[in-house]
Order: sequence, then structure tokens, then C-alpha cells
Amino acid sequence: MSPAVPPVLSVVPSRALVDETFRVTVQNLPPGSAVTLHSLHRSDDEDMWEAFGHYVSDQGGSVSVSDDFCFGGTYTGKEAMGLLWSMRPVPGSREGLRLRKRDVCTPQLVHISVYGGHAEQGFAVRPPLASVLSERWFMGPGVRRVEVKEKGARGTLFIPPGPGPFPGVLDMWGGGGGLLEYRSALLASHGYASLALEYVNPGELESADIEFKYFETAFNIVRLHPLVSPDRVGFFGLCLGSIMTNYLAAESTAIKPRCCVCVSGVHLYPRGAAFTEVYQAITLKAHKVRLDENNHEIWRYRELPIPGDLSGKVDVGRINCPMLLVNGLDDQNLPTVEAAEDMARMMRAAGNDHLLTRIEYPAAGHLIEPPYSPHFRATKFIKQNREKVTLLWGGRTKPHSDAQEDSWKKILAFLQQHLYANNPPRAKM
Amino acid sequence: MIHVSGLQSSMFSNSIQRGRGGVRWNSSFKPAPLLTAAPVRALIDEHISIKGCFLPPQSPITMCAQMQSDEGDHWEAFAHYNTNADGTVNLTRDHSVGGSYVGCEPMGLFWGLQPAPGSREGLRLRKKNVETPYVMLLSLLEGHVSPSERKITELAAVTTERWYMAPGVRRTEIRQDGVVGTLFLPPGPGPFPAVLDLWGMGGGLVEYRSALFASKGYASFSLAYLGHKDLPAPHNRVNVGDPYFKSAYHLLQDHRQVVADRIGIVGLSFGVYLSLRIATRAGVKPSCLVCINGPVGSTIKLTDADGRTENFENEQTHWQFDDQGCVSFKAMSLPANLSPESKVKLEDLPCPLMYIVGEDDLSASSMENANLIEQTLRAAGKCQLLTLLSYPGAGHLIEPPYTPNSRVSLWSFKPRKLYTLWGGHPAPHAAAQQDAWEKILDFMDSHLRR
Repeated sequence: MSPAVPPVLSVVPSRALVDETFRVTVQNLPPGSAVTLHSLHRSDDEDMWEAFGHYVSDQGGSVSVSDDFCFGGTYTGKEAMGLLWSMRPVPGSREGLRLRKRDVCTPQLVHISVYGGHAEQGFAVRPPLASVLSERWFMGPGVRRVEVKEKGARGTLFIPPGPGPFPGVLDMWGGGGGLLEYRSALLASHGYASLALEYVNPGELESADIEFKYFETAFNIVRLHPLVSPDRVGFFGLCLGSIMTNYLAAESTAIKPRCCVCVSGVHLYPRGAAFTEVYQAITLKAHKVRLDENNHEIWRYRELPIPGDLSGKVDVGRINCPMLLVNGLDDQNLPTVEAAEDMARMMRAAGNDHLLTRIEYPAAGHLIEPPYSPHFRATKFIKQNREKVTLLWGGRTKPHSDAQEDSWKKILAFLQQHLYANNPPRAKM
Repeated sequence: MIHVSGLQSSMFSNSIQRGRGGVRWNSSFKPAPLLTAAPVRALIDEHISIKGCFLPPQSPITMCAQMQSDEGDHWEAFAHYNTNADGTVNLTRDHSVGGSYVGCEPMGLFWGLQPAPGSREGLRLRKKNVETPYVMLLSLLEGHVSPSERKITELAAVTTERWYMAPGVRRTEIRQDGVVGTLFLPPGPGPFPAVLDLWGMGGGLVEYRSALFASKGYASFSLAYLGHKDLPAPHNRVNVGDPYFKSAYHLLQDHRQVVADRIGIVGLSFGVYLSLRIATRAGVKPSCLVCINGPVGSTIKLTDADGRTENFENEQTHWQFDDQGCVSFKAMSLPANLSPESKVKLEDLPCPLMYIVGEDDLSASSMENANLIEQTLRAAGKCQLLTLLSYPGAGHLIEPPYTPNSRVSLWSFKPRKLYTLWGGHPAPHAAAQQDAWEKILDFMDSHLRR
């Protein structure tokens, strides 16, 4: 091997959807040499994120991230995608950052590099041995993005390529608010017409024009779209969106979802309240907010204990569609696992618990996102009164990332089973 | 009224169902089928795995691919499959029973592309703009149909992108020291081993193979030598000589991101002669040569000692015409017909040579030239430098894999339209491209990296 020719780094595929894996390999190294594999990403918010892992080349001078052990860095062990999920803000960054793609029409650009030796820092000041660029996309080619402002509902609809009709999804995010499109874009890349719904503006929830009817309207926008199969529309909620999902699935007479996915949600809300009151109710009980050693706010105890009677809960015994609950056992924001227990109890009593599937992940936190996204244990959050705090979401990086990867597979399988596959025998033929 | 679906009929008969146009199955009786491709964005030489599911079991379907060339021509391919018992079709596992290809051909929809009916004659698919992908619409149609039938029912579709350029590859136009070309650099600090990329008498500046080499980690330089507006006129003859090619080689060698002693040359057709000439006469020592379907000397008379030539159309004695008036240039490159003073001194070959033959090459006498190379090198005690690959059924244009071959295409349109024969039959030519590309990359890896 000539030292004049540097090592060859390759990432295959170099363009991929965010939930696809890649193979990172290095060749043409001296045998048994210590190298560091490094990833670098500049977010839409202009923050720099990085991950790195320490490897030793084999007799042939090669390193394969999928097959070899990583001995140190931001991750360890055999982790094909460690360079993505273990990313964190580079030293010196602002506190409490969160990585969220705002423009889903462009890819996340990740620079993958290999450095000589086992380095822990200083990646910006020394030249790598080799470097390649990887594109990670939320949107597949041909997916159509349509801004929706109809009958008062606001959001973005993503439609897969093809003639349709497609199953539909109403995608509802959490109390952080704003409009996050990336999950819907990804669902559309998997064949679902998905509407990312905007229903909470950060810090400005007093607007009383959001009622439960708003969600029913949004659901119908999806259901009645010419490219959507009207009887194959489901809900997908996260956090506050899950609360809404539970409520609508149980109590709405106007809409009938075919199935629901609730990530990190609860079934608690003041019965009979309007939506704006729901949100206010959650933000009450400030005395129950605890602080951790870093002064990060822990909100989970606000909703505990789970009420015994129906005055503070969705009547989940009335749900009549399959429900998938995905929760993290280290969720510090909502008592999702306790709530899931209670939901199961209520549904068992009502005789509809065969509809319920619960998946709970040890050491996973609140923000269970698409796979290979970095983990955020605590990030800045703007409360309804515009006060900026840091919320503790929970979770430890490795188990949280495992949860993201596993839950996404299970969520896609669940959606496919209930929205694509034929239901067990109905009267036909 | 009950819609009689294909599913119901096939439960009671084994006959192949004809495609039914226009019946839109009621979605609550029938699940929407799903067509997936992975990855949806791929390099030209990467495999794409195409699957359909939630289809009626054991039913006829047609897979169809459609795209537009840079010039706006429509190309398409299609294949007939029968779904299996669980209602899926998987192109990496299943066999096409008709259409643009038959048998198990995971990438058949790409190399089997042909101009859509009604297209202009004599088209050849060549990407001009390598910075954009080919956008291909893959669709799943009901029944065994051809895409141009009027009534077809599209069940599902997916869009894929196929790229010649990986992300981060940098493209630079080079007009320096009289040299006309385009340089592609891989991402990263380098330095990189390099490749000089030469095409044939069609002329112009052909970038796609270079872009792909750069996507594999080689600095790659596509060089123009005739038929380009930035080269000295007239454009139908080679007006540049040995000094030009030497300059081009040095330009590459002197680039700060190129490893100066790891440069190879890849040539197709007339580019083969040029590669051999540069390696034996220009005072440079490449690390390896890859020569595809080309002669060991010039097919056109030289006008000077530096290798400039006469007009291509001057000497037509060896042009052969078939009964359709298409011309084959094959006889021009028979060793006996090559311009004698141009014949390269193969004994002086300084480096390993991979020579690739398409046995159905109708444009060059590749086999005869390959034999000559082998005999000469053996006599000179250098046959260990030679790797000879020969592909039955493959034509002249052995290019990167999973791209369609043109057996004949338009060569010139003045004074009148002239079509030239390249040869090659679809399936063996595709197999040759796939195999040759892997072997070329391995060969380059061995001689430019180790």
C-alpha cells in the first residue's frame, strides 16, 4: 500500500431517506491503525452537530462501521448508524438545542470523515484523511407537498407519487407548537397521504378558534381528498397530539379513524372542556413541576396521580379502532406509562382492550422521533406565557435511539396492517 | 351492480387476464397496492430493489418505467409479471414473462429502456447534464399490457432518481493551456488517484463516465479532442496532437489534489488508440489503461507526426452499409486497414492494460485488435500486463451498467441522415456492462490505490 494514496471512505447509499440505513467503510488504511470516524451536520438553525467513533482497521486495512466494534466516542459497540443517532451539538454550542428539519424539500447534509488516531475533539482544526457527503431525506422523489388552508384548518399535506388512492394520516405534533412537517413527509415517502396539522402556535394558545371541531375538519380534509381512501384514514399523535388522538378516537361522533398511533401521550383531560382549556389545564398545577439538578423542569408529576374517575380522562372504553401506544419508561414530561396502564385497565373493563397494543421502552424519554435522529434529554421550550424554560424529556441516548429505531418499524408495520392490508373477512364476494 | 374484479375472475380460471382499462376498484373492497423502490435515490451503478405488495394473488401485472432524456425524448420499459400467492411482486426474486426483458432481471427496467413509440429514429441515451438525475417514474399496471395501450389501469407508482454524481462531487470546466475538458473531483481533501477519460470519434465532451468515477473516489478528467466548439476548427477531424494530450495529462498530474504517480487512462473506441498512444509516445507513464472496443492505430490517415488526422468523412472505402443504409465502421479498424505510421508500438506498453471486447461490436474490429495486442505483448514478454475480457452478444458501446444500449443510432445528419451500427443485443449487452464495470473498478482499485 502506498502511503501516497489516502484511505478511501465510502457511504452507501450516499442519498437515502432518513429511516434508511447506510454502510460506512474505510479502505486502504495501514493494517491495525487507529482511526476516528466523524460526522458533522449544520442544522437549519445554523448549529453544528457531530458524532464520532474510534475504530481499528483490520489486516486488510479496512474498517466497516456496520461490522466492526467502536471502542469509544459518542457511541460504542457495533452500531451501523451510530454516527447519526449519537450526534450532539459541538462543544461551545448554545444550550438546550434540538435538531428539527424545517425545510423538508432539501436533505440533511451530513459530512462523514475519517481522521487518523483516536481523537475526541479538535475535528474542525485538523484535516481528515478522507471525507464524503451524505444526503438524508425526509421526502422521497415524487412526493407532493401541498400547503393547506381550508375551512380554517392549517397544515401541510404530503401525498405519495402515483395514482392513489392512498390511505391517509392526520399527523399531530405536540405542545411545542408550530408546524413540523418532517414526519408527514416521511410517511408520504412510505405511501401515506399525511397532513401535518398546525394547531398550537408557540406561546400563543389563547386563540380560541381552536376547538375539537378543528380536528374533525382537518380529519375530513384528509378523508375527503380525491387521492385518499376515505375509509383508510388514521391518526398519528405525539404528546399533546396523542391526547387529542385519544379524545377524538373515543368521543368524536363526527369522525372514525381506522387506527391510531399515540406516541408519548396520555388520556387525561378535563372532561367537557374546550381545547384551549385543555391546554391551560395542563399548564396549571405549576406547583407540581419539579426541577432536576440542572434546573430543568420535570412536568410528569403534574398529571399524577391518574384520576380514578372519568372527570379528568378520556373514556377510552368507547374507542373502537386499533390503538398503538408507544412510550418511554423514562419520560419526564408526561406520565405516559402510568397513563397507558390506566388506559389498559379501563379498556379491559369495557371489553375493548383487544384493540390496544402497548410498546414501552426502558430508558427512553419523551421525544420518540423517527430513527437515527439524535436524542435530546432536555431542550429549551417556550411556555404558553412566552417564558423560556428548559424541559427535561428524559431518556439515555443509546436505549432512546434503539427505541426510535424499533418503534418506527413497528409503527410502519401497524399502519400498513391497518391502512393497507385487507381487514379480516368482511362481507364481499 | 357488482364490479367484477380481476381477483374474482382469477379465482376461477387459470388463463392470463387481459388488462382491464378504466375499472377503478372500490377502495373498501380492495386494498390500495403499494409499490416501493429502495433506495429511491441511487447512483447509476447501484441496485434498486423494486417491490409491489397488497396486490391480488397470482394475478398478471405489468411493471413499467418511464423517463425523459435531457433532450426531452421519452424512454420506457415494461415487463410482465404474475404476483405470487401473497399478492406481492419482487423484481429481485421474480421472473418477467414478457416485455422489454424476460427472466429474473432486477435492473431490467433500466437497461431495457427504449425510445417510446413515436420517437425520433436512431436515439441514444446519453446524459448531457450530469448535475441532475434521471427521474424515473416506475408504475405498476393491471394485467399484461404495454404502456402505450390506450386503456391501462395504473395501480401504484413510485419515483426514483438515478444520479451520475454523488453528493459532494465537484465539477469544474477546464479551458486551460488550450486543453478542453471537465474535471470531476471527489469530496474530501484528497489527494486522489486520477483517471483521464477518453471517448470516440463521436466527439464533443462526454462527462457521465467521469462523474461516476469521481463518485467512486477518483479525480476524473473528461477530455475533448474533436467536435467541440472550444477546440480548433474544423470540427470533423482531430486537430490536436501529442502535445495536447501530454498537456492534458500534466494538467491532471499537477493538480494539487491528484496523486501524481497514480493516473490511469480509460478509453472507448478511438479513445483506445489515443490511450495507447499517450502511454507509449507522450513521455508520460500512466499506472494502468482500460481500453474498450478500440484500435491500436488510427482509423483515419494522419496529417502529421503528432497524430493530427484528416477529415473523418474523407476516406470511406472501408465504410460498409447494410441493406437499410446503416453504416458500419468496423472494417476501418481492422489492423490491416489502420494507418500504418499511427500503429502504436505495443511492445513499449509501460503498464497493465485491461482490454474489453464486445463480440458483437459492429463499429470496431475489437476482437482482431485484441488478438493483435495479445500476440504482440506475448512476443515482447509482456503478456502478464494484459487482462482480456470478452463478452458474447455485447456491442461497441460498453458503458456504465443499467443503461440501455443502442444497437444503431443517428451518426450525422448532413448531407443526409446517416445511421451507424453499434451492435449488441439487449440482455447480453446489459450483462456485459454490469460485469465489465465491476471489473474495471477492481482493476483501477488494484493499480491506482494499492
